[in-house]
Amino acid sequence: MKPIVKVILAINLTVLAVLVFAYPHLMVGPGKLIPGHKELNADCFACHAPFSGSASERCVVCHKPAAIGRLTTTGQAVTKPLTSTPFHQKLISEDCMACHSDHAGVKRFRQQGRFNHALLKTDTRELCHECHKSPSDSLHQQITGNCGRCHGQEKWAPASFDHDKYFELDRDHTVRCVTCHVGNDYNRYTCYGCHEHTPANIRRKHVEEGIRDFDNCVECHRNADEHDIRGGRGKIEHQRKD
Amino acid sequence: MTHSLWRQHILPFTLLLGLLAAATLAGDTLLHRLNLVWVGRYLGIPGTILIIGSLVYSLRKRQYITTGNPRTLLILHEFAAWLGSLMVLLHAGIHFNAILPWLATVAMGVNVISGMVGKLLLDRSRRHVRGQRDHFQLRGLSRPEVEQAVFWDAVTLDAMTQWRKVHIPIFIVFAVLSLGHIISIFLFWGWV
Repeated sequence: MKPIVKVILAINLTVLAVLVFAYPHLMVGPGKLIPGHKELNADCFACHAPFSGSASERCVVCHKPAAIGRLTTTGQAVTKPLTSTPFHQKLISEDCMACHSDHAGVKRFRQQGRFNHALLKTDTRELCHECHKSPSDSLHQQITGNCGRCHGQEKWAPASFDHDKYFELDRDHTVRCVTCHVGNDYNRYTCYGCHEHTPANIRRKHVEEGIRDFDNCVECHRNADEHDIRGGRGKIEHQRKD
Repeated sequence: MTHSLWRQHILPFTLLLGLLAAATLAGDTLLHRLNLVWVGRYLGIPGTILIIGSLVYSLRKRQYITTGNPRTLLILHEFAAWLGSLMVLLHAGIHFNAILPWLATVAMGVNVISGMVGKLLLDRSRRHVRGQRDHFQLRGLSRPEVEQAVFWDAVTLDAMTQWRKVHIPIFIVFAVLSLGHIISIFLFWGWV
């Protein structure tokens, strides 16, 4: 390699090294910082400890856990809170990086804004109503607490409620809830919400079989197979035959 | 330019380079489709190891080490550098975050191209132009006529010779920039 090339190389690399120290956020930072931390752009060590990354201990210097969601870092009341209820005070540990990342480049590798209920203390985890409002439909208005019976903590919908236990929603029954549960009333149902079943043809079929009490369909039928009579009365009749 | 340098040598070289670009795009798409973008984040490590491993040939060539078949080491050099570059390109992805690692990526790209020109094309191309000259001389063409006939091939060859000259300096730039990127990751990232 010619000496002049070596000199040019050395100058270029020196300039780059100077730029790294002068503009670390542009040269080595993994993307823009969140707007709230803009003033820390050139001060990497405000959040990062050498060779061990960013530590929660450095976050809580400004973001006091007791004040998160209530007061800003300058002591002003939070006027537009991101969540209906402050919850940072009820977390099992102060691990800020479990949910937050400040650089745009790092955020791509993490799902942002998704709350993980597993990070809440056990007793708080069951108190859904402290953070969530109950849905306004007739079914949910009658229920208080015990949300975990039908809903998981990963996501609200679909509910873990097992509809098959009452009636199997097979390919002939992939319909909107209101087709059977008119007015979103999940305590009641009707099988006459579609064109397939009408009171007249159901009556005719049952009378032919000598069945006169057929108002509560799911008492005998738990799926679309009319010969699979597993429901309460059907089961009883089968047992009698056996 | 029938049977020219372009068709016989540069086109295959371009295809090999195109394969690197296509493999990068395909790999990147696949990682995104399979929701495995995080894998790309760590591909920089094996990619760097492969590129460092490929330097065994360079050490052998300059006789810093004396063991190993140079021919085999050259094949390994080309393969490891190509695969390592693919991994680093996947690692870089399409996301532009910091300038330093991107400069390193660009330097790596120039390095790969110059290396491929140097090792894959230059010798064969020299032989090709020499053969063409001999061919035209045997057909009784005068020296200026021969030079006229091989003009574009000779120009292409000169350009390729210049590419070869940037291989080592650009490798030093690539090495220093990559080192800067690696140090910054160790310095700021929490590995635990």
